[in-house]
Order: sequence, then structure tokens, then C-alpha cells
Amino acid sequence: MGNSRWPFVTAGLGLALLVWGSVWGLFYAPREVYMGDVQRIMYVHVPTAWNAMLVLTFAFACAVLSLLRGGWGWDARLEAAVEGGVVLSALLCTQGSIWARPTWGVWWDWDPRLTTTAVLLFAFAGILALRGFVDDPVKRAVWTAVAVVIAYVDVPLVYFSVRWWNSLHQLQSTPETVSRAFHWPLRINAFGVLFLMIGLVELRARLAWQRRAAESAPPLPSGVAVATGRL
Amino acid sequence: MSGFLAALRKDLLLQWRTRAQFVAVFVFGATALLLFSFAIGPDAAALRQHSAGFLWLGLLLSSTLALADSFESEVQHRALEGLLLLPADPRALYYGKALANVLQLTVLGVGLVPVIVVLYDAFTARIPALLAIIVLGAAGLSAPGTLYSAMTAQMRARNTLLPLLLFPLVVPALLAAVKSTSLLILGDPMGQLTSWVALLVAFDAVYWSLCGLVFERVVED
Amino acid sequence: MRGVIEGGWEFVIAAYVITAVVLLGYAFSVCWRLWKAPRHDAGR
Repeated sequence: MGNSRWPFVTAGLGLALLVWGSVWGLFYAPREVYMGDVQRIMYVHVPTAWNAMLVLTFAFACAVLSLLRGGWGWDARLEAAVEGGVVLSALLCTQGSIWARPTWGVWWDWDPRLTTTAVLLFAFAGILALRGFVDDPVKRAVWTAVAVVIAYVDVPLVYFSVRWWNSLHQLQSTPETVSRAFHWPLRINAFGVLFLMIGLVELRARLAWQRRAAESAPPLPSGVAVATGRL
Repeated sequence: MSGFLAALRKDLLLQWRTRAQFVAVFVFGATALLLFSFAIGPDAAALRQHSAGFLWLGLLLSSTLALADSFESEVQHRALEGLLLLPADPRALYYGKALANVLQLTVLGVGLVPVIVVLYDAFTARIPALLAIIVLGAAGLSAPGTLYSAMTAQMRARNTLLPLLLFPLVVPALLAAVKSTSLLILGDPMGQLTSWVALLVAFDAVYWSLCGLVFERVVED
Repeated sequence: MRGVIEGGWEFVIAAYVITAVVLLGYAFSVCWRLWKAPRHDAGR
């Protein structure tokens, strides 16, 4: 894994875009007719949603490549992508809850997209837990990859089952329709989160790489370490 | 095919020999159903309304015990390595065990039906349909459950990890099974039963093929 | 112009603040852990 600075630059650029997009969406975008100022939550919620799905799809790709091609690089990126996906999913559920309260009067409205995200959150958090309990690095890589493939394939099934289950009771529109919103803050923030996550996933993958390398490196005999001035 | 039948026979034999454990799992499931009614309260209408949900939750919770045990003997006596050295396809091993688990979960589910009839006044005359749904639901739990059981049997904290991994995964199957059973018990005026069963069949088809495909990687050394 | 939903600024602020805290916090966490990670070549 490389040592170059590009992920820091990318992540920094992402953060800058997020500040720009958020300020725009918060203070300068026009007010929505029916939802009022609460609509402004969409300027962070929708970008988070897009990127959560993107990161988890990347995790799926890493899992497939890890199983087919092997090599520690894909496993490291897999670990990074799963962790990033869990963070974004948790954030997404929190944002969705905050949006639902003033809009529907409840903290959770069983919206199919959001509920699917919650299920995904638990599924991938469980995979991170699995990873923590396996000591053998080879088994760890194979098992996490298998688990990610299995969980990802479930996504459309979960979505349709929840949507169907919910459709008989509620008919509210999903929050992701932002046809009345101003598009620019949304796009800027979407790229903001994207660049931020690209940078962070790469950095997190390097961390995973280093940890695994340290795991399998033979320990230096302390005499040698002292003699060579490393201690 | 012969490998599969041999594996199936082995697992059915194993289950028969450990049937005392199975009785314990059944008692656990029935107790869970009792506890659900305490959680809701003695409101007969509410209990009947949610009876399908209780049945499947009870079955899901019991399945973690049943599935966790399914690879117990293989791991304890290091039989897994021995089995893999045989010239049989590891997939045969998987399907044999998964099918044996379906049978076990079906028997469990069928056994719990009288419990919900008594506790929740949840009766249906459509017995073959109910049986079919129990089999399909059991299949939905068994496919990923057997795979994850093979995985977690080889590690510590196995009893926590199996449900942790399995529960989010089987949400579609759980929803479909609960809705289907509910429609049987409470009536199906809009004819939705076939759609939910179709979803359950789709889930089973996807996971029975996928898990069989990856099983070899999960148990290889 | 009056919307159907009045006010709600506290929810908007909460959403933005939580988003900022989570994203910045995660970024910091990754960088911190990377900085602290054992390097197998340096023998520390």
C-alpha cells in the first residue's frame, strides 16, 4: 500500500466542498413550499444516502475480487469499505430519524429505504464484529468476503419486502424526491462526501494493511533491537 | 448425488441421536411463545392479530440453538477435516446438512403451531398451505444459517455471532413468512398470499444457490 | 411564504451538526489510528 499524500488531499477537498454545499443549502437555498426549512436536511441526507450505497457497493466489489483474485490489498480495502459503510449507514439512519420527527411526528416512519439501511447497518456491523473474532488472517479475509457478498445480495430482497410490507399501511412519499429543491447544494455535498470517503477509505485500507503486516511480522529479538539502536 | 445422500443420511442420523437436545430446543421455543403473550398482555384480539409474528420469532430464536448445534459434532471430533478429505464434493456436504436442518426446523415449526392455537387462538383450516409456508420459511433460515454455522463453529463467541450475522440477513424471509402465515390465520381478502410466497421462494432460490457455491471456501483450510 | 411545516430549525441544525461531528470524527479517527499503527519495518 502506498504512502503518498493523495488521500489527504482528496479528503480535504471533500470537506471543503461539504462546507460550501452546506452553507449554501442552509442559508442561501430557497425555502421549500410545503416542507419549509426542514427540507434543508435533504442537502446532507441525500448525499449521505448516495455515498452509503456507493461505499457498500465498493465493499461488495472488493469482496468479489478478494475471493476471486486473493491478495491482501483487496482484503484491506474491504475492511475499510465495510467500516466506512457502517459509519455512513448509521449517520443516514440518524438523519432520517431527525427528518421524520418534524415531518411525520414520529422518530421512525418505516420508510423502505431507511428501514433497508437500518437492516444493512446491522448486517455490516455484524460483519465487522465477525472480523474482530477471527484470528487467522486467511480465514478472516475469506469469511468477511463471503459474508459481504451474502449481505449485499440481500439488499434488493430486503428493500422489496419492506416496501411491500409497508405499502399496505402508509403512503407517504419518500424523502429522496427533491424535485422542488435547489440542485446545486445537493450536488456539491454529494461530491463532498464522495471525495471525503474516497480519501478516508484509502487511508483506512492502509491502516488495515499495516495492521495485518504487523500481525504476521516475526518479532525482533530484543538484543538485536537494542544493538541496532532501534530501541 | 450419492455424496449428497450420504451427507443427508449422516446428518439425519446425527439429529436422531441427539433428539433429546431437539426436545429442549422445542421447549425453549414454546416458552418464548408464552413470554410473548406476557409481553402483550391478555388481550385475546391483539394476541391473535400478532400470532403469526410470534410463531416466526419463536422459530427464529429456536433456530439459533438448533443451527449452532448442527456443526457441533464435526468440530468437536475434528470430523470436518476428515469429511473434506473424502472425494465427495463439499457442496454435497453443505446441501445434506442444510436439508437436514430444514427438516429439523420444519418439525420445530409444526410442533409450535398447536402452541399458538392454544395460546393465541390462532387457527387456520388451510393446513397444507401452512405446512408449505413453514417448510419454505425453514428453508430460508436454514440456507444462510447452515453456512454461518459452519463458519462460527470454528471460532470463539460462536453463540453470539451466529444470530448477529443471521438475523439481519433473513429479514425478507421473516417478513414474507410472517405475512403469509398471518394471511392464513386472519384471512386474505385481497389475495396477497401468492405474492408473499413468491418472495419467500425467491429468497430461498437465491440463498440455496449462493451459499452452496461459497461453502467450499468457508470450510477450506 | 408560509409552508405547511413551520420552523423546525432545531432539527435542521441537529442534522447538520451530527453529520459534521460524525464525518469529522471518523476522519480524525482514521488519521489518528493510522498515525498510531505499528509499523512492521521499524521494529518499534
